[in-house]
Amino acid sequence: MSARAVYGIVAREFVRFLRQRGRVLASIGRPFVWLVFAGAGFAAVFTGRNQIDYRVYMAPGLLGMVVMFGSLLAALSTVTDREAGVLRMVLVAPIRRSTIALGKTLGATLLGTAQALVVAGLLLPVVHLRPTLAGALLGLVAVVLSGLALGALGLVLAASIRSIENFAGVMNFVIFPMLFLSGALYPVRHLGVVLRAVAYANPLAYGVDLLKHALLGAWAEAGYGGELPVLLDCVALAVFAIVGLALAASLLGREGGVTRTALRGRP
Amino acid sequence: MTTAAIDARGLGKDFGAIRALDQLDLEVREGEFFGLLGPNGAGKTTTVHLFATLLAPSRGTARVAGHDVVREGLSVRRSIGLVFQDTTLDRDLTITENLRFAARLWSLPERVARPRIDVLLRQFELLERRDDPVRTLSGGMRRAVDIARGILHQPRILFLDEPTAGLDPRARRSLWARIRALRAESGLTVLLTTHYVEEAEPCDRVAVLDRGRLAALGTPAELKQAAGVRSLEEVFLAHTGHPLAETDGG
Repeated sequence: MSARAVYGIVAREFVRFLRQRGRVLASIGRPFVWLVFAGAGFAAVFTGRNQIDYRVYMAPGLLGMVVMFGSLLAALSTVTDREAGVLRMVLVAPIRRSTIALGKTLGATLLGTAQALVVAGLLLPVVHLRPTLAGALLGLVAVVLSGLALGALGLVLAASIRSIENFAGVMNFVIFPMLFLSGALYPVRHLGVVLRAVAYANPLAYGVDLLKHALLGAWAEAGYGGELPVLLDCVALAVFAIVGLALAASLLGREGGVTRTALRGRP
Repeated sequence: MTTAAIDARGLGKDFGAIRALDQLDLEVREGEFFGLLGPNGAGKTTTVHLFATLLAPSRGTARVAGHDVVREGLSVRRSIGLVFQDTTLDRDLTITENLRFAARLWSLPERVARPRIDVLLRQFELLERRDDPVRTLSGGMRRAVDIARGILHQPRILFLDEPTAGLDPRARRSLWARIRALRAESGLTVLLTTHYVEEAEPCDRVAVLDRGRLAALGTPAELKQAAGVRSLEEVFLAHTGHPLAETDGG
């Protein structure tokens, strides 16, 4: 395992992200769009109004959403790297495929975490949510673990999907169910058995649940805090991250990862 | 100079039903300038990718810099530099950023990488453009950065896969001057693939590949003599039965 190579991959992801102004602004603005539009609509039909303001209830979910967009979509760089040829240069370097997967996943985690921290700094004061110190620390743990799990998942998708168009299509198919079945917008426990089962196969659900533990502790009695044990959330996210990393590493190492692109259009 | 830089025995590769490389027996000597000549689709890139451990062989074995390409992939990759047919640079990063990224991938410490990058940039006349994004560079300059990237970690063997594809004549000339200087300086083994016959003239030895098979092997002079012709171009024609590709790249 080469620490310097991992650092090189992470640093490049971060530099590239910062140069894309539109992407930076969109990632910060997106949760506020949801807060205003989805927040207004859902608040009107939300039954827990007497106990908790819907916008407060939404805050952990919105932070989870920021991590999801930040870390899951970071995998886009792996798809563009393949198309631009950069991935071949990385694959011919004397490093293991697992080192590449780790670097890419840590890069995605860093992007998701950085975006979530910036958004938290703006969003929490807006909804008048002041977490305790313990809550803030748990929130950070939740964001980092979610970033790892979602970053690894994104990489698995990116390593198995060859073209940008396909990747965009699959991402849309993944992102919205993942968001709606995460508890970000409504509690998972109100869902039927089948959807609830699907929700528990969703890494974001554990991340959002952990964020609710971190930020909505004051409303736990009323039933709006985290629903699963904190430890279970953490373990589930760690398992997603580790399984995802292993899978991504083997997919990246799979023959054809480089060469099918290299041989495209050639007999 | 008796050890083989590359030693392939019965090396072959299939893609599904397509036999990209049949059974290649090839020895490239240390310090040699070796040309792999052939029309498009002859199996040149497949051969290079097998040597670079980017592909797993379907049959046969190969040792590169003394390491087995299947079992010792990391050691092989540590000993080689590979300049791909198409650029592998990150167009959004500057020249320096690209080289620094490569230095980290090859685990070069910053104190080693920094002066080495400076030297290469001076050698390749890229100093003034070092902080410009790669997307703003000409094709010739990009190629120069690709090569700088390929030799940054001081490999023992350098693979150049169709390095002049898409370059104008001037850029080609300066590229060959650079390769000559590098070889004179470091005794680097260079394996070049090309479908431009004239580019293989300065090679110590040339192998002609055709449809995945080795059609001829020898010094340019030997090959011309054996075929009773005056130019490598005619050797090529005699062995492959078809004219050279007119197109660039591919």
